[in-house]
Amino acid sequence: MMSSSRSSLAFWLRLVLVAFIFAALEIYGRFYADPAFMSPPSGIFRAFVERILPEPKIIEALFLCVLQIAAAYGLSILFGTLTGLLVGATSFSRSAFFPIVLLLFAIPQVSLLPLVILFFGLGPAAKIAFGFSHGVFPIIMNVVAGMRDVKELHLRAARSMGASRSETIRHVILPHAVPSLFTGLRLGMTMTLLGVILAELYVSTGGVGYYTRLFAENYNPAPLFALIGCLAVIAILFNELVRLAEKRLTPGLRRSAALTNLVKE
Amino acid sequence: MSESAISIRNVSQRYGDAGAPDSVLALDDISLEVRKGEFVCLLGPSGCGKSTLLNVIGGLFKPTSGMCHVAGRLVDGSPHPDKIAFVFQESTLFPWYSIIENFRIALKFQGIPQSEWDDRAMQALKAVGMSSFASHYPDQLSVGMRQRVNMARGICVETDILLMDEPFAALDEQTRMVLGEDLSQLLAATGKTIVFVTHSLAEAVFLSDRIVVMSARPGKIKTIIDVNEAHPRSPDFMLEPRFSELRNECYALLRDEIRSTMAAQRDPQSAGA
Ligand SMILES: Nc1ncnc2c1ncn2[C@@H]1O[C@H](COP(=O)(O)OP(=O)(O)O)[C@@H](O)[C@H]1O
Ligand SMILES: [Mg+2]
Repeated sequence: MMSSSRSSLAFWLRLVLVAFIFAALEIYGRFYADPAFMSPPSGIFRAFVERILPEPKIIEALFLCVLQIAAAYGLSILFGTLTGLLVGATSFSRSAFFPIVLLLFAIPQVSLLPLVILFFGLGPAAKIAFGFSHGVFPIIMNVVAGMRDVKELHLRAARSMGASRSETIRHVILPHAVPSLFTGLRLGMTMTLLGVILAELYVSTGGVGYYTRLFAENYNPAPLFALIGCLAVIAILFNELVRLAEKRLTPGLRRSAALTNLVKE
Repeated sequence: MSESAISIRNVSQRYGDAGAPDSVLALDDISLEVRKGEFVCLLGPSGCGKSTLLNVIGGLFKPTSGMCHVAGRLVDGSPHPDKIAFVFQESTLFPWYSIIENFRIALKFQGIPQSEWDDRAMQALKAVGMSSFASHYPDQLSVGMRQRVNMARGICVETDILLMDEPFAALDEQTRMVLGEDLSQLLAATGKTIVFVTHSLAEAVFLSDRIVVMSARPGKIKTIIDVNEAHPRSPDFMLEPRFSELRNECYALLRDEIRSTMAAQRDPQSAGA
């Protein structure tokens, strides 16, 4: 009871805050701001309906953006998880290869963006590659960390019960790494989005990047913000997808929370 | 009854290379016979090598020197899950599996046919009064309930020998006592041979047939105390004068050990490691 009324209060408070921010933006945008740089939320919404939705080229560009993110993320998950499992499998492979991963991760990748474009061209390949190179590292790092932090006590218990090496990996090390894997997947999603969108904005001959530049250079903030809003919505949807997968697939999170509170002695 | 279930001969264990500054002689020439069906406690200050000795018996590693036989078989650094089960602290339950899945996995690791898993698990859970929690996850239970389940998991594999390493260390005094009583009853019914590590004096006296008091650095057997009291033991045993006498005897033996360990920690030069 207590906690449910608290959480609904938190929800309303959050809603009020968001409404307040929108109202403030609306008032500022309408009455005070320079219309060349800023548009009130109502204007952005109108621009979304009138300038973005009816424009098949923009919709196509957004759709392509979604596909690129999905492709980059899929590759990140595949390679990140596999590499993570290989590097994290034994303490030897970890000490041999993990420093390389850390080193690569430490490079500020934006500085390599022109190189990536040069290499992969102006099309989707460059954006997928750049999204992938951002997304893959957090996944590797977290898989390795998850496998490393397995409890000595659990390993000893499994061994004393007669578990083979492969049984230990399957039933102890991997399940232990699942929460950490999802931390990596969430971070990896954020980074993939960053990579793809950075590349999109950098290459302004077509796609979303072209339109953002077009609107910005024409001092046309309403459709610009509407387009950015679309990217934000895409990002939120992708993140929700990962969160849902995490909720379904993390052992121990499957059960209902209500049951948890019932049986504590 | 006089048959030897566990036979430890001249076992020494050194961690690190002899002569290296961080090398520790954890066990120094330990010999001990444990009879079939006997409940033996290893009692001693922390760091005296109790876990090390238990792990040697359980075959989790090979001792630096000496031999250990279990049920006539040489234990040489590899576990014998058909003969020996371990019970560690409650946190050994795998948190990603529900209680029943924890049992299944233990039975699977041990090589028990799948058709027997659930019957055995439910039987063991019933024995500790936890059968209605089979589908719960470990973190949904209190620490005491978890340890009850963890004990049941060690029992359901039906080995002749049970090795318990401070299983109640994370529990409060009252829960410890209640679980101790449960354990005494369960064991009287099964006739298992048990080696139990603890640093609780009351626990040692209440549960043991014999208490092996160990001294620290290097770990040696200082004395073995007999507790002549039939299992299962009732809480009334704790009220008898003999209980306090035994408890005091253990305390007197341990106090010297703990004092010398603390002195050694303060002044590492005098440590005889
Ligand atoms: N894996 C290890 N490597 C090095 N030293 C260890 C290791 N395990 C235990 N020791 C040392 O051996 C001694 C005995 O440890 P242990 O058997 O765990 O004692 P207890 O269980 O009685 O507390 C301690 O001094 C401990 O620091
Ligand atoms: Mg110990």
